[in-house]
Amino acid sequence: MRPILLSGHERALTQVKYNSDGDIIFSVSKDHVVGAWFSHNGERLGTYHGHQGALWTVDVDPTSTLLATGGADNTMRLWEVKTGKLLKTWEFNTSIKRVEFSPDGRQLLGVTEKRSGHLSTIVVYEIIPDPEAEQTDEQSLRIVCDESKATVAGFSYLAIYIIAGHEDGSVSQYDAKTGELLFNTQAHEADMQITDLQWAPDRTYFITSSKDKSAKILATDSLEVLKTYTTDTPLNSAAITPVKDYVILGGGQAAMDVTTTSARQGKFEARFYHKVFMEEIGRVRGHFGPLNYVAVHPQGLGYCSGGEDGYVRVHHFDKPYFDFMYEVEREQANL
Amino acid sequence: MSRVAGRTDWAEEEDEDSLQLPQQQITKNKDGTETITTYSIRDDGKKVKTTRRIKKTTIKQIVNPRVAERKHWAKFGAEKGKPAGPQTDTTSVAENIAFRPVANWKASAEDKSETEKKKNNLKDAKIKCRICSGDHWTTKCPFRDTMAPEGEGSTAGPLDDTPEAAGALGGGGSSYVPPHLRGRAGAGEKMGGKYERDDLATLRVTNVSEFAEEQDLRDMFSRFGHVTRVFLAKDRETQRAKGFAFVSYADRSDAAKACEKMDGYGFGHLILRVEFAKKST
Repeated sequence: MRPILLSGHERALTQVKYNSDGDIIFSVSKDHVVGAWFSHNGERLGTYHGHQGALWTVDVDPTSTLLATGGADNTMRLWEVKTGKLLKTWEFNTSIKRVEFSPDGRQLLGVTEKRSGHLSTIVVYEIIPDPEAEQTDEQSLRIVCDESKATVAGFSYLAIYIIAGHEDGSVSQYDAKTGELLFNTQAHEADMQITDLQWAPDRTYFITSSKDKSAKILATDSLEVLKTYTTDTPLNSAAITPVKDYVILGGGQAAMDVTTTSARQGKFEARFYHKVFMEEIGRVRGHFGPLNYVAVHPQGLGYCSGGEDGYVRVHHFDKPYFDFMYEVEREQANL
Repeated sequence: MSRVAGRTDWAEEEDEDSLQLPQQQITKNKDGTETITTYSIRDDGKKVKTTRRIKKTTIKQIVNPRVAERKHWAKFGAEKGKPAGPQTDTTSVAENIAFRPVANWKASAEDKSETEKKKNNLKDAKIKCRICSGDHWTTKCPFRDTMAPEGEGSTAGPLDDTPEAAGALGGGGSSYVPPHLRGRAGAGEKMGGKYERDDLATLRVTNVSEFAEEQDLRDMFSRFGHVTRVFLAKDRETQRAKGFAFVSYADRSDAAKACEKMDGYGFGHLILRVEFAKKST
């Protein structure tokens, strides 16, 4: 496996995402620039300029026509993927920590930060999936998180629920039509922030990662904890791989502690766990800072990771990855 | 110059010279490969014949039409106007990573904490009492007061005793490990950087010409995979090769391939002998 190193960013990466066909990778970093890259060879398609602050989040709609970003300049922006043109800017009182399109691409969700008198909110806009169309300023839904601020959020299958992860380690389920809080569960350790929430391909379950050094798979309907993956380092991101039943966890020592420890101890590796058996099966090294985000190719052909070191590493899995099976899995396959 | 009168122009003479070179030849072999033979003149005026055997394979890939269309999108932003293909300033290829998932990875990985390492060190070490040959420290021997240490009458402690337990001499309280024992237990961070020395992927090359250079070997052997280390033994005074070398690969399968192909390869005026290095102690 020979990773492709994308070095177009000057500061730490905050999120990387594949589009639904897996041919383009979008990356956002604290250097205010959004990058688009071809995943097969690492060629940069272009950059999106306009943000005035560090970027926290990016998402692309299912047809790869619209791109949403959010950042510390208190704006959420919509771009045309093909040309890099800025289509729409929504302004807020605080920064945007997470954006996500609904599975059909007609709704866009944003999570705002809690700061100085402003509570954290989850806002939803109706989106017209056409780069020519005038997008609305009107929020179709606004959920105020008065208990603990939301750090991550996303739409469930068919956009029935909005699932949010909170700073206190709990996970909430909201009705995506009314915004009513249906259910809240303390999935991770108390006061350990949930750092990432990524969906399984069918969105009936999802994986959360937390600063409590664990990642968990929860069922979307019941918020029941199905699987737990424990590690020895705070986690920043977790992803579920299609095709093979693995999960990839990324993390590492907090950026501020890095200089006091060696790269070996920093644990800056992508960790692969078996999704069902919850057992670690391997690690991939390479970054020399914590991994801030890991994203998996939608067809399960590879993954990419964005690190605090400013690099995106794109990996294409090779044969041993696909061949690996537990004894029981092999027996099952031979039946 | 003494050829034909009026043809003393040096440029024309040169021309004539190059015309004498045979044309490039391409022959198709039975096994689907092509042999290309080209001739050229080197800087020192010698004629060189280059024979290359090339195998061409066409890899067909069916892609989604949407993906195919996106491949032809014009670049924008900071990439605007740049030619197609990855740019070297933003895209590079990193070093090969061997990723092989294994069940029970934790146990097979050597990434254990320092204390655990030490514990394992002690566990593996054979403790032998010098008095009664039991598996405890000499100082803790129940017969300490009644018997003298085995095989010696004097009080001088035998220095070459129980080297296996050297990591824990002094009752187990000391953390000092002699340098020659450090390597295999992996205590502390290894010197020499990124590559852990893997004896499994190291080849021993013998019958190397004494005029060989490390770079020659590296060039030859990197054909089969990523070479992490080349060591060519040299005479300290004459700086000439002693006739043997070690080549380490990142991957054992590459090493095996190289071992197979390079054994019996003619290099310099000698036939190389390549075999897997025996585990060093």
